[in-house]
Amino acid sequence: MFKTRIWLPLVFLMSLVLIVLSACGQTSPTTKSPTTPTTPATGTTSPVSSPTLAANQVLVVNLAGEPATIDPNKASWASERSVIMQVFEGLLAFNQDLTLKAETAAEIPTVQNGGISADGLTYTFKLRPDVTWSDGKKVTAKDYVYSIKRMLSPEVASEYASFYYAIVGAEEYNGAADKDEATKAQLRDAVGVRAVNDTTLEIKLVQPLPTFLQLMALWPVYPVREDIITAHGDKWTEPPNYIGNGPFILKEWVHQDHMTFVPNPNYWGTKPKLTTITYKMITDANAAFAAYKNNELHITAPPVGTEKATMADPVLSKEIVRYPELVTFAFQFNVTKPPFDNVKVRQAFSCAIDREAFVNNVRSGVGKPAYSWIPPGMPGHDPELGKEYAFNPTKAKQLLAEAGYSDLSKLPEIKFQFSDTAGNRTIAQFLQGQMKDNLGINITLEPMESKAFTQLVNAGNHTWAWFGWGADYPDPDNWLPQLFGTKAGNNHTLYSNPQFDAIAKQALSELDNTKRLQLWAQAQKIVMADAPIVTIFYRERFVLVKPSVKGLKTTGMDGQIAGDMFFKEVYLAP
Amino acid sequence: MTKYIARRILWLLLVIFVVAFITFSLMHLVPGGPWDREKQLAPQVVENLNKKYGLDQPFFVQFGKYIWGLLHGDLGVSYIYQDRGVTSIILEGLPKTATLGLVAFLLAIFIGVPFGMAAALRQNSVVDYSSVIFSTIFASIPAFVLGILLMIVFSVFLHILPTGGWGGISYIIMPAFALAAIPAAYISRITRASMLEVIRQDYVRTARAKGLGERIVLIRHILRNALIPVLTITGPELATLISGSFIIESIFSIPGIGRLFVQGVFQRDYGLIMGSILFYAFAIAIVNLIVDILYAAVDPRIRYD
Repeated sequence: MFKTRIWLPLVFLMSLVLIVLSACGQTSPTTKSPTTPTTPATGTTSPVSSPTLAANQVLVVNLAGEPATIDPNKASWASERSVIMQVFEGLLAFNQDLTLKAETAAEIPTVQNGGISADGLTYTFKLRPDVTWSDGKKVTAKDYVYSIKRMLSPEVASEYASFYYAIVGAEEYNGAADKDEATKAQLRDAVGVRAVNDTTLEIKLVQPLPTFLQLMALWPVYPVREDIITAHGDKWTEPPNYIGNGPFILKEWVHQDHMTFVPNPNYWGTKPKLTTITYKMITDANAAFAAYKNNELHITAPPVGTEKATMADPVLSKEIVRYPELVTFAFQFNVTKPPFDNVKVRQAFSCAIDREAFVNNVRSGVGKPAYSWIPPGMPGHDPELGKEYAFNPTKAKQLLAEAGYSDLSKLPEIKFQFSDTAGNRTIAQFLQGQMKDNLGINITLEPMESKAFTQLVNAGNHTWAWFGWGADYPDPDNWLPQLFGTKAGNNHTLYSNPQFDAIAKQALSELDNTKRLQLWAQAQKIVMADAPIVTIFYRERFVLVKPSVKGLKTTGMDGQIAGDMFFKEVYLAP
Repeated sequence: MTKYIARRILWLLLVIFVVAFITFSLMHLVPGGPWDREKQLAPQVVENLNKKYGLDQPFFVQFGKYIWGLLHGDLGVSYIYQDRGVTSIILEGLPKTATLGLVAFLLAIFIGVPFGMAAALRQNSVVDYSSVIFSTIFASIPAFVLGILLMIVFSVFLHILPTGGWGGISYIIMPAFALAAIPAAYISRITRASMLEVIRQDYVRTARAKGLGERIVLIRHILRNALIPVLTITGPELATLISGSFIIESIFSIPGIGRLFVQGVFQRDYGLIMGSILFYAFAIAIVNLIVDILYAAVDPRIRYD
């Protein structure tokens, strides 16, 4: 009796072991062979006319997590763009220097070629006739009309819809969530986007928008297929339904694990040399670094804080690729809360922070000290601006005295709020040290859970906080009005200056580009003088690339993975 | 017995409902929602998103709809992974997490129980002390340290195991060991303590006195009784293991469900939070039920009539 009782569970357990082991053994149990030869290749990454290709053209990179959505109309995050950029192409695109180029459009519309009407309100795009979908069907102007209207529809609830409110009827349609179906259909038809014929797309604007062409180079208006989306609903983003017009097709998507891309056989442009791109989804930075060292990845970003060790490593130091991103970080004051309602105090605090020390000590020397808001690599960047309030403790004390705070005990308690991550803790402690050492002021640190922090700042209840801004598109248009305009959507400093507002309003519809940039330069000067923020540093990408990877072209607008905008030009050398 | 099980299942449903209500309320009470971004979305866009996901409706309507969906086997929508339902996200990740959890569980038992037994049978010997030392070490090393340590040794230096991902056995070895370390240490300690107590019982002395072989005494009288407390802790341990570990799944890039809950909380993905909490509650309740039934099988004194 007892024998069966004790042995039965044991037999059961053992058979479980067997079942489990056989289940995991479906694929080859051997370690995945390294995809990159360990011998370092020589030469630079510039492509030559007839490059020697490795037999194995499989690029393996890390997307660092599952993309939330890969629907171009809905996407907003870098990792989502990294996928979309391989599979879709828009009318326009960015060159490596971030100037515009025609991609699936035959040319960039201008007033001269008749693509833009004299009043700047009507844009006509001529499409290349030879662009096809990956299933061989032709891409027509109707596909763009469908995509733009879908992106604007309240049901899709696209996060970027508001960027396109300059299109006739766009804002009305996007705001029609509560309307009945008939009204919605009416509003949809009233959106100013129309296919004149198969290769001509016409878009009408409510008011002139000088940066409209840049918006037309972004992913939310890439073409998508109506028949596919109608047939599959939300599941259209799963392969093989995910049909695009770009250089690659998404062959496989194992959720939370990896994605596999192969060249699109029907691609209209130069076919890629890579036979496969694999996107892994390693979320842990240390694990990704280990995977890179184990030759499982071709490109990775070493964990923040290990940069100095990487630069000192004899092998890894030769694989470093660094380039500026269009991202600026700053400390933002709440200018309605004392003592920050006093401009002299804000300027004093700006003079009390050593940006060079910040970049060297907090960022391991990665990044560039920032004295003004718009980052280098973008129109509108002014390297001389803001130096007036660069690090200068004597001036800081003097400004503080001028503000009436020669007696520091008169200062109210100064709180600094931040989202509680290891990186931000270092930043907060650095700031605390600078304030103590350079001004003799004790500030209180208030770490918060990330979403709670975001809500606090968005509601304008913070005192002083850390924040960063990255470009949606490379233009001051995207960097000034929504952050520093009175009551603008992302104005969390609660800063308001009528002079700035007037110039910004003028600049937003100024069609003469030189004049427009001059206006933005003026606007940025006003902001920097009023100091609602203390700009600290411009972010820089710091990645490791295996020597076998050739033809990598990096830009300030890359998605999650370095060089992902031009993966179609990448190849592997032996 | 059938009556008992039926009663327990009814209780289970009530527990799930209460858990759902508490989680749902807490979720909506914490500051910050799924659309709060550092780069703020346009008000109209937020309105559209709220409308799309029903977040513009009153709390009880939202909760009612959720429960109605739940009764139909639908765990709702994810606010992060907008194109995939929570049910399909969990179903896709569960087999991987459960496989890993089960392997880790078996490892923990096959390491923990023999070590604990050996330590108890050779009390105050070298075996006992080394068992104490090892289990203390493994119980106190955090999983992420052990995980990274294993990875550096076996992947970066020896190049014999992949750093992470999901594939064959080679992908499971390191995460399973990292996951099993703490429960194995715990189980070995409990086994030892429980064995030591049982060894001193009168019925063990009686068994020996009536001339039974040491082997039979060990298996029939000591082990069976000593394993009852072990069974008590292995139940919830199993539920924990098959529900996944955020840290281990992140380090080893396991496409399982362990990462979902933490991710959901940080991003205020109400759908994912609810889905993972309910799944976890369900797993704990079911495993506890099974453990209670197993008690009766192991211990003849326990009856549920």
